[in-house]
Amino acid sequence: MAHRKKNRNVGVIGVGQTKHSSHREDVTQPEMVHEAVREALEDAGLTMKDVDCIVHGNMELFEMIHQPDLWHELGTGAYGKNAFRLTTGGTTGATLFCAGDNLVASGMYDVALVIGFEKLQEGHTTGGITNMADPLWFRSLQTGALTGTCAYDVIQEFGEERATRAAMMYRIIMDQNACLNPKAHRAFGLEWDQMDHLIKTSAKLIGELKIIDMCSQSDGACAVIMACEEKAKALSDKPVWVRDHITVHREETINILGYDQATKEKMTHRFAAEQLFKRNGITNPVEYFDVFEMYDPSSWWGVDWMREFFLLEGDEHLKLVEEKEIAIEGKIPVNPSGGVIASNPIGATALVRPAEACLQVRGDAGAHQIPRPVNHALASGFGGTLWTVLILLEKELGW
Amino acid sequence: MSEKFGVKVEDIFNTMQERFRPEGAAGVDASFGYDIPGRGKWRLTVKDGTMKIEQADDLSGCVAVTRADPDTFVGVNIGKVDGTAAFTSGKISVEGDVGAVSTTFKLFKRFTPPKKELTVGEYILDMFGTLEARFQPQAAEGLDITIGYDIGGREGGRWTAKIKDGKCTVKEGLALSPNLTMIVKAKDWVDLMLGKVDAMTLLSTGRAKVEGDMNLAVKLGELFAKYKAPGEEAEEEQELLVLKKVISVGQRFATGPVMGKYLNGLKEKKILANKCPECGRTQVPPREICAVCRVRCEEWVEVGPKGNVRLVDTAYYASPDPLTGETRETPYGLCYILLDGCKGQEVFAHFIRDDQLDRIEMGWNEKKGTIVRPVWAEKRTGRVSDIKYFEIDE
Amino acid sequence: MGNRVAICAMAQIKNEPNIWYQRFQGMLLDCLEPILQQTGVTFDMDKGIRNIVTCSDDVFDARTISDDGMTDVVGAHYRGEEKIAQDGLNGLGYAMACILSGHDEVVLFMGHCKESQPESRNMCTNLAYDPFFCRPVGMDFLNVNAFQARAYMDKAGLTDEHLAEVVVRSRKNAAKNPYARENKEATKEDVLNSPFLSDPIRELHAYPVTDWAAGMLLCCEERAREFTDYPVWITGFGNCMDRYFVGDRDLTSNFSLKKACEKAYGMAGIKDPKRDFDIVELNDAYAHQLPMLAEGIGLAGEGQGGKWIESGGMDKHHVNLSGGMLNGNPIMLGGIARAVEGYLQLRGEAGERQVDGARRALAHGTTGGACQHQTILILEK
Repeated sequence: MAHRKKNRNVGVIGVGQTKHSSHREDVTQPEMVHEAVREALEDAGLTMKDVDCIVHGNMELFEMIHQPDLWHELGTGAYGKNAFRLTTGGTTGATLFCAGDNLVASGMYDVALVIGFEKLQEGHTTGGITNMADPLWFRSLQTGALTGTCAYDVIQEFGEERATRAAMMYRIIMDQNACLNPKAHRAFGLEWDQMDHLIKTSAKLIGELKIIDMCSQSDGACAVIMACEEKAKALSDKPVWVRDHITVHREETINILGYDQATKEKMTHRFAAEQLFKRNGITNPVEYFDVFEMYDPSSWWGVDWMREFFLLEGDEHLKLVEEKEIAIEGKIPVNPSGGVIASNPIGATALVRPAEACLQVRGDAGAHQIPRPVNHALASGFGGTLWTVLILLEKELGW
Repeated sequence: MSEKFGVKVEDIFNTMQERFRPEGAAGVDASFGYDIPGRGKWRLTVKDGTMKIEQADDLSGCVAVTRADPDTFVGVNIGKVDGTAAFTSGKISVEGDVGAVSTTFKLFKRFTPPKKELTVGEYILDMFGTLEARFQPQAAEGLDITIGYDIGGREGGRWTAKIKDGKCTVKEGLALSPNLTMIVKAKDWVDLMLGKVDAMTLLSTGRAKVEGDMNLAVKLGELFAKYKAPGEEAEEEQELLVLKKVISVGQRFATGPVMGKYLNGLKEKKILANKCPECGRTQVPPREICAVCRVRCEEWVEVGPKGNVRLVDTAYYASPDPLTGETRETPYGLCYILLDGCKGQEVFAHFIRDDQLDRIEMGWNEKKGTIVRPVWAEKRTGRVSDIKYFEIDE
Repeated sequence: MGNRVAICAMAQIKNEPNIWYQRFQGMLLDCLEPILQQTGVTFDMDKGIRNIVTCSDDVFDARTISDDGMTDVVGAHYRGEEKIAQDGLNGLGYAMACILSGHDEVVLFMGHCKESQPESRNMCTNLAYDPFFCRPVGMDFLNVNAFQARAYMDKAGLTDEHLAEVVVRSRKNAAKNPYARENKEATKEDVLNSPFLSDPIRELHAYPVTDWAAGMLLCCEERAREFTDYPVWITGFGNCMDRYFVGDRDLTSNFSLKKACEKAYGMAGIKDPKRDFDIVELNDAYAHQLPMLAEGIGLAGEGQGGKWIESGGMDKHHVNLSGGMLNGNPIMLGGIARAVEGYLQLRGEAGERQVDGARRALAHGTTGGACQHQTILILEK
């Protein structure tokens, strides 16, 4: 399909995150954002003087602040700079990343500081998410972001035992990764021998979605600095190149359930992957990628969506889980950071995905670093009514 | 037997009555069980704004039984262990109505371990034993002084603090001519150091005397850091202020001609859908446009009222309404119904009658799920609630 | 990849005090259809729109992810959509970046806002302030602008009479604009006697509560003529953030405006704003801002706003022929309304307001109290 040549390349040269947590009563929002900004600037070896554009976002109805970037100027360093604000719900962080890429690639800006944050403890998370529904109808029916429909679909297809075990295996792998990530919010230290017990006893929230499966609610911020090729090469030893990205939204409703296989819609995840891989000449994603930081709001979705993102069929994705190929030492590590189930400061979460992927490409992820060269990385964002943002990152130019 | 945090499981239960908050018990009428392996079982009964806690082997009739190991149970109750994390990772489990357990959180003030009390003599020894360590050299620049402490009474003693060249040495006994001498009884000194009485009160009532350089007396507070009783360190962290506020801005949502027509239809017990002129799919509730074809939908069709259930999402956890705090009773079922006249994925979402939830069979492809029909509210005003719920069509 | 981007089509509904009879979706669909008709553009993944930039505010819409309900009517089903949560003019700048970066060829922009939906727009803007001090003290975008008004009136020798002249003129101009909010024509006495909202801002000095929606189709230079014979080019863009805390700012200094101009003028090669612009559209939410912003962009000398009005500067430089924000556009879309006027003027479609031979326009937008964040867009024929 037609795709224009990128005007100029963009590299990520700095990454910063707060330690995601459930209680950041020790900081105000601008202070929390500032922690991530400082870390990113230090990581890049820059000061605010070197930045010419700030891109900021979150899901404002959680904290009920109107245009928070105005207040956050105290912590973002936006004073005197060009500043943009984009918000697209759960995908916000990834959208901000794409926006940073667009703004720098366009030639309008050379160095962009991209910031996503959320202080969920300051608001009412479920209330905030429920307010996403149409006020005249679905708002009275929706239960925040919870739905058991995905679990139902996977169970229908593969049978309860296999499906539940795969979801729990996925969960434990994610937790083991989180235990190696000092920035992760929740790291329980789950052991393999707890699997049966957890499956039996973890409290059900809705349908087959259990509390252990569900992502956390966190306070946190993430900042990423991106620069045009010339500056990226001058300022960094190991810029991580943004090769391409795609955003795919869906209509307002969530009637994508699988109970009518003949009319079941293609998931945006698969559509995004198909478009992105085709226009970049990637024919075997599982082979091509060295890491996938996927936005996994629950272990069920994590398992299910791998089939969509990797363009697999049948039970290939279950096998990746069952054979632990998605673990850090596996063939295609997924969420070495612990993923969204471990840390979910919503406005930042989708930015943490490419940020963590960049750390992996650079070899800077510390204890949760993948022990092999990471040259090609994939990161995804999720939100809204099953929207997807998919980002392609490379260690070397010249793809 | 004390647990990890120096607090016994029994302490938590034994102090429930004194920590009880009757205002949190409004509307609560149930028994809650606690099963702490190795320690025992307790039953908490709440009714009419009063509570009763007793050890009990038999926890039948409890709306929920919470099970946790002693350390986790104590840790959560004193705020040292994150309750949600413990629950999620299985360290705390609940058998029965999980939602009901959350009502118990408002019933009690947090358990605070009682402060260890020392005797006056023990305090005096500790206070003077830590005086050197509490010296703050940055306040003593250029000072060359001696301060005498004449603490009276059986538990008292005499000490001298010598400050010179930014260093402080404390020795027992009173120096000959200190620059400043504090003369006060042991009990009063202890109360003063613990913040139970202030210096002005002691001085003006003659319970304390100061001899020598009065300017130095004023400086004492800067020369030595505040005394912290043993075990008090943990609470000395800066108090984090949190501002609580409910924000609400009144709204007047327009319904527009499309949603408006649909809502009006409900008043007449009609479920109206609109249809895409290109792909023919129905949308209920209707939307201005067909998102797939991107064309305006202006054709209307009445659908249902009956349909078959394609999926039921059974909710065990109901989030409280942020404005009212109310929760829907669980379990409840949000179902997706294919109304007569609709096809494929054109489902309609609403609730299932609570007492029929377990009898609903879900459809799959051609197989139809349970046939249901809407139960209309007596008074209909053009809202979601005009349909109370769907029930089995029998 | 080139340095300019085309606006190929524009559609808007009328600015109104209370669009109680339509939801946002209906308002936006009324903008989408004309754009599709005017240009014949499709949503084909290869040749058509595959990315949409929207603009709306979650607090004003009382809807988390306020673009979620709009996906259908902006055509974003299985397409990209990114919401700008600032004045919509920034959305045009961002869409420009999407195109100049090479990521997209054709971008649809759609914005909506209803100030009539919440019980008070001041309650909403009060929420922009920190919960600990500024918010409880009662700051909102009206009061903070009143501080600015007082400071500026002192600085520039601006009087109540000057302000009245600005308002009267705004309404007269708007009467020639079929899409402008219909307001009673105001006389000088009406304005001078208008009750104070927040001293020195009188009721008639403030833009009235307004609902509106609008859309534009933007396209890369190479393909602009596929969609229109009269593209209007965006040749410059810049924005800038000033300090948050009102006490840290010099409210009349036009700090963020001057910086935004630096960037935009640099891009577009503007040397002398007094001569280079045929059309100037300033986002004057409050009457005192018109002369103040004129200083900021270089039309009037520092502190000379009052004199500039007296010397007929507003008409001489064709400032706010649309009626400006002052006549009524909703917050979030003020800058878009300014760009719309520029667009119409450059295409010769401004009817009674038309400036013959208009070749270059400046559009300005603001976000935040007392113009904390400002945006400049430069349009050329």
